[in-house]
Amino acid sequence: MPIFDQGYQHWSGELTGHGWRWLAITRHGVRIGMKNRLLRIALLIAWLPAVVLAFFLCVWGLLEQKSDLVQPLVPFLMSMIGPEIVNDPKAYRVEVWTLAYDYFLLTELRFSMLVILLVGPGLISRDLRFNALPLYFSRPLRRIDYFLGKLGVVVVFLGLVLVVPSVIAYVLGLLFSLDLTILRDTFSLLLACVGYGAVVSVSAGLLILALSSLSRNSRYVGLFWLAVWFVSSMVGTVLAAVNEERRMHHQYMRAVEAEQQAARAAQPPQPVQPAKVAGGPKQRAPAAQVDHRRIWADIQREQREAAKTDWRPLFSYTTNVSRVGRHWLGADASWEKLAETVPAEERDRYLMDNMGPQYPWYWSAIVLAVLVGLSVCVLNFRVKSLDRLK
Amino acid sequence: MLFHLEGVTKTYGPITALDNLSVSVPTGAVGLLGPNGSGKTTMIRTLLGLIPVDKGSGAVLGLDFHTRQLDIRRMVGFAPEDECLFPGVAGVEFAAYAGELVGMRTKDAMQRAHEVLDYVGLGEARYRRVETYSTGMKQRLKLASAVVHDPQLLILDEPTNGMDPAGREEVLELARDLAHNKGMSLIFSSHLLPDVEAVCDHVVVLGAGRLLAEGKIRDLKQFHPGCFEVRLKTGPAAFARRLNDLGCTTESREGDLLLVRVPDGGSQQVIWQAAAAQREQIRFLRPQRSTLEEVFLKAVERP
Repeated sequence: MPIFDQGYQHWSGELTGHGWRWLAITRHGVRIGMKNRLLRIALLIAWLPAVVLAFFLCVWGLLEQKSDLVQPLVPFLMSMIGPEIVNDPKAYRVEVWTLAYDYFLLTELRFSMLVILLVGPGLISRDLRFNALPLYFSRPLRRIDYFLGKLGVVVVFLGLVLVVPSVIAYVLGLLFSLDLTILRDTFSLLLACVGYGAVVSVSAGLLILALSSLSRNSRYVGLFWLAVWFVSSMVGTVLAAVNEERRMHHQYMRAVEAEQQAARAAQPPQPVQPAKVAGGPKQRAPAAQVDHRRIWADIQREQREAAKTDWRPLFSYTTNVSRVGRHWLGADASWEKLAETVPAEERDRYLMDNMGPQYPWYWSAIVLAVLVGLSVCVLNFRVKSLDRLK
Repeated sequence: MLFHLEGVTKTYGPITALDNLSVSVPTGAVGLLGPNGSGKTTMIRTLLGLIPVDKGSGAVLGLDFHTRQLDIRRMVGFAPEDECLFPGVAGVEFAAYAGELVGMRTKDAMQRAHEVLDYVGLGEARYRRVETYSTGMKQRLKLASAVVHDPQLLILDEPTNGMDPAGREEVLELARDLAHNKGMSLIFSSHLLPDVEAVCDHVVVLGAGRLLAEGKIRDLKQFHPGCFEVRLKTGPAAFARRLNDLGCTTESREGDLLLVRVPDGGSQQVIWQAAAAQREQIRFLRPQRSTLEEVFLKAVERP
């Protein structure tokens, strides 16, 4: 019996509109991605920081209510973030929530990079490798639909890592605080988290798609991505550290020199003793008068000022992303408020240690925008419909 | 009208893929013939609106291919020549995905994918991953993916490439059934003449991007007046000599077939009389027709 005797039936269903056609590609990509066991494990682990965040926000909510449930944790919290803050949790609510989200997003950014490494490399390179582009472009799809669909895959997974846990933790924190003013105080955090998720998704998503379109081999694309992630971070960190050390050295030497000159100028002239000067050790009396503590405090202050124009961290992709995110969260302002609880002479060091890069946030935004533009150009050049000879 | 092209030219740098091509083709099963590099694939891509042409105009199913590409692609199913199946998905998922890309709802696409896989004979293998399919199964899966949304026009680009005879025959059967029994128009691009002849009613022959011949296969394979193909019970040598004595010209063909050209004004009666006189038994006698191969070669060799 010929096989077609099983019959061919005409189909009379309706086709959906064109606007959401890209969603089919996203759905398919997510289905394929979820078949990857490593990715499922990574997603599961990526939710652990969210559990910690939710727990912390709930504890803080109970602390605000002076609940007995969290009293055993009070000594621990005091040792971690200081008694002044723990004793008046409502006054520091915004700052504590902000910084909790800041740490959370910083951790999740690393998981995001890992998730992209597992999801992204094959998105376009597989289609190039298996000549699947005709499958897409011979159907009523435009190139923009194809790119949107592929980008949607990255957005979904990053949303699962960055946005969904943020929202769930926020809701849990709100519920445990039993105080609606939290909504007023911290709603901007929620928006910042969503915005941050969007920035990471679009920027990193387009970047991995561009890299994916450069090779037919997903492994090479994965290596490219690791280079973007680690090498750029290393270069940015090393350049910034070297510059900081050099600057500190110069500042220290200059300050010591100035102190010694001032000390010499203040001392009465001593009679010259040629025998001792000729063969004996150098006089160290003026150096002993150097106020290292004050010099160190001055250096810290100058370092903070210099950090505001230090462009070297811009080499790091993750630093750029987190710089924009921290600005939106308002993390720097929160650190400055918390710094008021530490002694004045330690304040600069405290801020230097905690605030991270201080250059204007829009520098990072410009770098990310340039990367997005480059990625779009690469995609436009590499995925050119079928207008080519075989 | 299935499609028409008017003065279409497409170049890739110094290479002219389509050279001022004008052709109109009625609905039905159309074979697209031509040697490698003749412009078949470029013509298909032009019809689908996948590539911009340098000049010229045209329409597919009444839709301008310059402005209505997406509408055309919604009404057309295309099975490309290349192996475009990516691994990691089951056959039914692949066919359903093809439907979703056209705009079918997920549930409809999956239901329809099962139907078309049954139709092409992949029902048993629907849950196997596509990378485990044989070449023939892959071709049938491509065909299923192309018809999953029930298009008005099906375009098959070299669908029997690399297939064993049984698989090839199955694909040809399917194409023939869709084109002749299911009311689906078909463009069948191939350089294998028997395949085109087995499936199509109409043929377009391309060479160097130009139209070399076009028309119904039945018309192109015209009768040669005064020429007959004869097969006898015994060998044809003695009979050929007798016919030569009667003023006919003869030519031996494969399979003991004798090609006989009778003198001007003569008829097949001459052959019957000669056979009767020589007590030969004629097993087969018919007027000679050009084969598609002859039509093709004649068209390609034309300056």
